[in-house]
Amino acid sequence: MLRASVTAEAAGIPSVSVVCEGFQRQGLATGRGLGFDSLPIAVLRGHVDSQSVDEMIQAFHEITIPQIVRGLTESIAINADTRLEPAALDVVVRGNIDEVQEEFHRRGWTDGLPFVPPTHSRVEAFLGVTGHDPWRVVGTARPSGRDMTVWSIAVNAVMAGCLPEHLPVLLAIAEAFHDRNYGVEHSGNTTGADALVILNGPVIDVLAFNHGAGALREGTRANTSVGRWLRLYLRNVCDFTADEHDKATFGNSMHTVLAEDEAALREIGWPSLCSDFSMATGTDAITIARMNSGVIIGSVFGSTPEEILPYLADGLVRVSGWDLTHNHGLGSGQFRPLLVLSPLLARTIGRAGWSRDDLREALFAHARIPAWKFEAYVGAWTNLTSGRRRLHDLVAEGHMPAVFAEGDDPNRLVPIVTEPSKFLIAVAGDPNRANAYAMSNDGPHGYWTSKPIDRGYSTDLVCRV
Amino acid sequence: MSEEPTYEVVWPKSARSTDARPPAPRVGSLQGKRVAFLWDYLFRGDELFPELERELTNRFPGLKVIGYETFGNLHGPDEARLIDELPTRLREHGVDAVISGNGC
Repeated sequence: MLRASVTAEAAGIPSVSVVCEGFQRQGLATGRGLGFDSLPIAVLRGHVDSQSVDEMIQAFHEITIPQIVRGLTESIAINADTRLEPAALDVVVRGNIDEVQEEFHRRGWTDGLPFVPPTHSRVEAFLGVTGHDPWRVVGTARPSGRDMTVWSIAVNAVMAGCLPEHLPVLLAIAEAFHDRNYGVEHSGNTTGADALVILNGPVIDVLAFNHGAGALREGTRANTSVGRWLRLYLRNVCDFTADEHDKATFGNSMHTVLAEDEAALREIGWPSLCSDFSMATGTDAITIARMNSGVIIGSVFGSTPEEILPYLADGLVRVSGWDLTHNHGLGSGQFRPLLVLSPLLARTIGRAGWSRDDLREALFAHARIPAWKFEAYVGAWTNLTSGRRRLHDLVAEGHMPAVFAEGDDPNRLVPIVTEPSKFLIAVAGDPNRANAYAMSNDGPHGYWTSKPIDRGYSTDLVCRV
Repeated sequence: MSEEPTYEVVWPKSARSTDARPPAPRVGSLQGKRVAFLWDYLFRGDELFPELERELTNRFPGLKVIGYETFGNLHGPDEARLIDELPTRLREHGVDAVISGNGC
């Protein structure tokens, strides 16, 4: 809500933002990132979700309302963040390998693992390969307000152990961060989803990304270092640390990059995942979304799509819980779960003549839950006002298609997504195993976004910095 | 053991491009003012905002509240568009002050 307050302040209208106790620091940091220090905040004691009505209202009158009134009527003492920050080329630490590691850990500039010291010469060499102007600004990082310069991308890439050839992939991810459709500013929400990058195109083989066994496990340099870079960049440039914008209750570990098995896709005749986002199959592209959780669909037993389908549908249902609250209660049709099929499963489905869209239609018909349970997710089991409506209300308001309101039987089965195309399907992993992986997305908080990768030598002015 | 090299390392963060701006002037008194409620449709705002309206209108004669439903869900799927439109909507309604919630 700081974004709304900042918008009002920028229009010359005073504001107060109401936040729970745990969000004071994040609220102030968000205001600072958007150019306003010390915007007034009124605090809700504790967390309203665990309070009785009487407890909440009493604290609201005693604590919050007086702060609201003062925040709108009394002049503000500006407590500007005057700490002088280094310039990009400043040497911030000088020492041996242990001293450098220790100081970066102390300052919160790394992720707990050893890293490659980003010396000036290493960063310059990293950039020299692709010819990018180090001072080009890809965009403004949200919510920190920091410049996403090519230089800062390279510094964190050196730390993560990336190769210079990975830079075009990193730039594409930074472009996605800049895209408001993605919503990078939500990367610190309390439920702690983490970004998953899916890679398509010839770049997979050219840069030696693993798409086979252990496709989502660390161990392959390209997949692992790019995944690590993403987390470092969120930490260092977007300021997602526990001190500022990261409010994850638990959080997930980083995801390595998931590269699709494009040879298997060609053999089956299925398009690649990026084609769902206006990128032609065969394009070098990243597609990114923040994922809440995942479940393994193991030991699928079947030689036909009809035999395999119940396993896949069940996996998608098992991964769909609070995600329905978030994507259908708060959001509107933004649930787009990902189903990763092993090449063996994909081939078995494909050889029966099923297209990828046929599979999605079948999943839409079979991945269903009782209407009463869906309504519990968007109603009784949440405090989202928009979620307190019934399925019939959501259909009547145009938020859900008619299939969700066919009949009044609370035990009728309803889909988990609003249309078949909402299911996203990728093919990767051990080519000889009959397993799949279902993952749920975090809706508008890191929504599916795709960007092309430009592997060409940059025409930017190459300069020594 | 041979002497270890010394590393001179650069800053992994990046400068802020957003210039710090002063907040808008405060209203002095809420008496007779038009106050907009902005809501992210989360965390019991539907219980708290009516309570706030009762308290403010009792304490400050002439204060008028423009309800959150006027501005839509500022945290939902239309967030970007609604935020972009917000200055115009606030001006249309002659808003003097904004109360925005709830972050939890």
